[in-house]
Amino acid sequence: MPFCERICPYCDFAVIRARPLSPEDESAYLDTLCAELHARAGAFEGRRLASIYLGGGTPSLLQARSVERILGAIRGAFPGDPEETTLEVNPSTLETARLPDFRVAGIDRISLGAQSFDDTTLRRLGRGHRASEVHRSFEACRAAGFANVSLDLIVAAPGQTLTEVEADLVAALAYAPEHLSVYELSLEPGTPFGKAAARGRLQRPGEEEAVAMLECVEARLCAAGYERYEISSYARPGHRSVHNRRYWQRLPVLGLGMGAVSSDPPSPRHPFGLRRSNPRELAPYSEGVAAGDGAGAQVEVLGAREARAEAVFLALRTGDGLDVELFAGEFGAPPRHFFARELDRLTADGLLEEAPDALRLTPRGRMLSDSVFASFL
Amino acid sequence: MAGDPRIRNFCIVAHIDHGKSTLADRLLEATGTLSDRERRDQFLDKMDLERERGITIKAQTARMPYRAQDGEEYLLNLIDTPGHVDFSYEVSRALQACEGAVLVVDAAQGIEAQTLANAYLAIDAGLEILPVVNKIDLPAADPDRVAQEIEDVVGLDAADVLSVSAKDGRGIDALLERIVAVVPPPRGNPAAELRALIFDSWFDSYVGAVMLVRVVDGSVTAGQRIRMMARGTDREVQELHVLDPHPRKVDCLAAGEVGVVVAGVKTLAEVRVGDTLTDFRQPASEALPGFEDVKPMVFTGLYPVLAENYENLKTALEKLKLNDASLSYEPETSAALGFGFRCGFLGFLHSEIVQERLEREYDLDLIATAPTVRYRVVEKNGRVAEIESPAALPDAADLDRIEEPVILATIHLPPEFVGPVIKLCQERRGTQRDMNHHGSRVQLRYELPLSEVVLDFHDRLKGATRGYGSLDYELQGYRQADLVKLDVMVNADPVDALSLIVHRDKSHQRGTDLARKLKEFIPRQMYEVAIQAAIGTRVIARTTVKALRKNVTAKCYGGDITRKRKLLEKQKEGKRRMKRVGSVEIPQEAFLAALRLDDS
Repeated sequence: MPFCERICPYCDFAVIRARPLSPEDESAYLDTLCAELHARAGAFEGRRLASIYLGGGTPSLLQARSVERILGAIRGAFPGDPEETTLEVNPSTLETARLPDFRVAGIDRISLGAQSFDDTTLRRLGRGHRASEVHRSFEACRAAGFANVSLDLIVAAPGQTLTEVEADLVAALAYAPEHLSVYELSLEPGTPFGKAAARGRLQRPGEEEAVAMLECVEARLCAAGYERYEISSYARPGHRSVHNRRYWQRLPVLGLGMGAVSSDPPSPRHPFGLRRSNPRELAPYSEGVAAGDGAGAQVEVLGAREARAEAVFLALRTGDGLDVELFAGEFGAPPRHFFARELDRLTADGLLEEAPDALRLTPRGRMLSDSVFASFL
Repeated sequence: MAGDPRIRNFCIVAHIDHGKSTLADRLLEATGTLSDRERRDQFLDKMDLERERGITIKAQTARMPYRAQDGEEYLLNLIDTPGHVDFSYEVSRALQACEGAVLVVDAAQGIEAQTLANAYLAIDAGLEILPVVNKIDLPAADPDRVAQEIEDVVGLDAADVLSVSAKDGRGIDALLERIVAVVPPPRGNPAAELRALIFDSWFDSYVGAVMLVRVVDGSVTAGQRIRMMARGTDREVQELHVLDPHPRKVDCLAAGEVGVVVAGVKTLAEVRVGDTLTDFRQPASEALPGFEDVKPMVFTGLYPVLAENYENLKTALEKLKLNDASLSYEPETSAALGFGFRCGFLGFLHSEIVQERLEREYDLDLIATAPTVRYRVVEKNGRVAEIESPAALPDAADLDRIEEPVILATIHLPPEFVGPVIKLCQERRGTQRDMNHHGSRVQLRYELPLSEVVLDFHDRLKGATRGYGSLDYELQGYRQADLVKLDVMVNADPVDALSLIVHRDKSHQRGTDLARKLKEFIPRQMYEVAIQAAIGTRVIARTTVKALRKNVTAKCYGGDITRKRKLLEKQKEGKRRMKRVGSVEIPQEAFLAALRLDDS
C-alpha cells in the first residue's frame, strides 16, 4: 500500500504522497491489487496461507472495509488460516480511530510506527506525529483488543543521545509490546537525509555512540525478557514475527502492490526460485496488471551461488542462525563444503560460532555482520 | 682514401620540444624525399609503421638526395638520435655515425639542459656543429639573444647561427646549403676491412632484430658473412636497405653510407648498440671505439594488482623487451604483493615510460615498488656485492659499508627559481659543483645520489621552476653513504613491498610519512591495525588504524535482499583487489600512495 500523507526524509520505499487518499484512488488501487492477486495466485498454487502482512506506505490510511476486501480476496485465493495478519499503523489520531474496525476486518497484529517517544527526535526524523499520539495509539490498540502489538523504534537519529535512546526504551517497555523492531537509522542514497549526509549536513551520533546505543537496546530489552531473534527484531517468547521470518528463511512470499517484491517458490525450471520486483511507480504497475503480464515486474532468476550466499547472510541475521541440515538439504552439502576457508577465518576472528547443527554470529559478529556476510559472496 | 665526397652524414640534436621532428620533416620535404602525397606532419615519428616495404621502420633516419646550388647531387643522411636523457649512450653512438650535427635551439626558450648536454656530446664526438635557432615564427622569438647565448654558453660563433622556422619553412634552403658546405664528407677507408657501427636496432616481427648501421670502412654486401665484434657472433647478411625514408633493398652499403642490415638475428638481446660489424673471413683488427655494455641503473618491482594478471604482465614485458633491449626483468615474489617482476631500467624516465606503456598499451593495473638503484655492498668479511632490491641487503651486523651511485646533474633554469632548486638539491643530499649565469639562464651543477633523483626529482624540479627547469645527468661513480634499510610493518608483519634503502638522516621522516600515508589509506578493519616503521628491530615511527566497530544493515526484508546481495558482492570485489599482509587487508591505493610519497 504505497500511499502516505507525508514522505519521511529517510524513506526510500516506493511511496505516493496522498493527502488525503481519495476514495476513488483507494478503490482503483484495490481493484488493481485484487486483479494482480488473481493473476499471480497460480504461481503459488497448492500453498497454504502462513501470514498476511499489510505494509506500506501507510496501509492504515485505508478504510476498514478496504482492508476487509483485501483480506477476503487473499483468503479466497488460498487455503489455510494465517497464523498472523499484520497491519502497519501510523500513530495518527485518524488512523487509530479505525483500530476496532480493522480488528473486525480480520487484523490480529498491529505494527505501530512509533519511531520514538520523544517529540524532538520525532521532529528531527521529519515525522508527522507527536509522542502524545504514540501513547494514545498504543492504548487504542490495546483498547481495541489487539493482543499482539509490535513497536518500531529508530535509534541513532540525527541529534539523538544515548540518554534519549534509553528514555525511548523505558517508554516503550512501559507498554510491554509483544514485539519490538529497533532500527538504526540508515541513510539511503537519494533521500533527503542521504543527500544531506553526503554533503556533511546531517548531525548524526558518531560510531562509538551508535554502538553504545545498539548495545544499550540489546541489554535493556533482553533484561526485560525480550529475545533478540534477529539483528533488529526483539520479541517476547512466542511472539516472533511469523511473516518477517519468512524472508530470513527464504520461504516463498507473494508480494502484491506497487513496488512489492515476491519470492516465488522453487520449481524444476528454477530450482532456487525467482524474485519478482513490481514497478516502483503507479502507472507502470497498474498498466502491467491490466495488460496481464505479471504487473510488469522485473524478474531475477536466482542461481545456486546467489542462493547460497543469500541463504547464509539472511539466516545469519537471525538468532537461530543458519541451520546446517536445512542448508545441506537445499544445496547438497553443508556450508563448510562451500565456505571452509571463510568459516575458519571468521570463527578464528571471533565473529562466528560454528556448532554442529548451526552457524551463528557472535555478539561482535552481529555488530560487524556486513563484513562477515561479504565473505560468503 | 676518404669516403664518397658527395655524402653528408648528420644528425639533429635539440632539447625536447625545440622542434627537432618538425625540422626533420621540413628537410625531407625541401629535398623532395617525401612527395606531397606522402607528406604529413612528423612522418618520421611514426614508430609503428608496419612493414612498409619489407621491414618495419622505427627511427627518424632518412636518406635525402639534394641538388645543391653548386649543381652537384649530394646524398644527405639524416641520422636519428634518441630523445631523452636516459639514453645518452645510445645518443653518443648515433653521433659517432655522423660527421656533423645541427644543433637546434628554440628561439623563445633558449638553451636548455639537453641542448648543452647534446652539444657537448656532439663536440666530444668530433662533429662539426651547425647551430640553428628554430621557431623564429613565434611572437616571443628572440633569435639574436638566443644566438648570443649559443656563443656565450656553447662557444660557437653567433655569426654562424642560422635562423629558421621549421613551421613555415623559412631558412630551410639555407640550412641545406650549410650542411653541404660545413659537414665534412664521411671519414673512413673504403678499401679497408669492413667496419660498420651499429647505432640503433629494433625488432621486426618478420625478420627479427634489425640493425641500423653506418659503414665506416670497407663495404657490406648481401650474402656476406659478418661478425659482431663485441658479441663475437657470426651471421649472414640476408637483406640490406637504405631508408628513402621508406626502406628500399640494396645489394651493397659502401663506406660512408647508412642503412639497415637484416642478418637473421632473432632477438634484440643479441644485438648491442655500439658494436662493430666486420667481415667474418677478413675481420678488422680493431673494433670501432666507444663500445659499452650498458647496464640498468634503476630498478622497480612491478606487480599486477590482480594476481591473475601475472601472465599478462609477463607477456607484455616480453613484447616490450623485443623493442627495448635496455629493459631487463626477472621474476620476483613479494609476500605482500604476490608474483611480479624486478625490472631494470636505464634511468627513471625510462622506468616511467615503460610503466606507462604497460598500463596504457597493455591495459594492466600495476603496483610499482619504490624505485631503487644498484648499491654496492661491502661486507665485513670483505665480500662485495651489488644489490638492486632492499630485500637483498645483508644483515646490518655483517655490513662494513654501502656505496651508492652518484650522478652529476646539470640543471638549466631561469634565475628567479635558483633558490627553490638549490633547496631541492640540498634536500636530496646534493653537493653543488658550480653555478654559472648564461644570459637569462642559470646553469647549476650538482652531485646527487642517484637514489635521490629516481623518485620524483624531475617532477619536483618542474614544479619548482614552473616547468622552465631542465635536467641532464651523467653517472659519476660510487660513493659511501650512511644508508639503512627501512621496513614497514602492519600488526608486526613486514610489508616487504614497502621496504626502502634510505639515508639514515632521512629515515625518521620517511618512516613517519610512510606510516601516516598507510594509515590514511588502510580502511578500518575488524581489528586495530598497528603500523610501524623500523630500522632493524628499532621502531622509529608508529600509528594505528582503529578497529571498525560497527558495520551492520538494520533492515533486510523482501525488497532489500537483492540490493543487499549486490552491495555485499561489491564489497567483496573491493576486498579481492586488496593485498593481504598477515591478517591485514591493504588496498592498492595504500601502496600507490605510500610509494608515491614525496618529501613535501
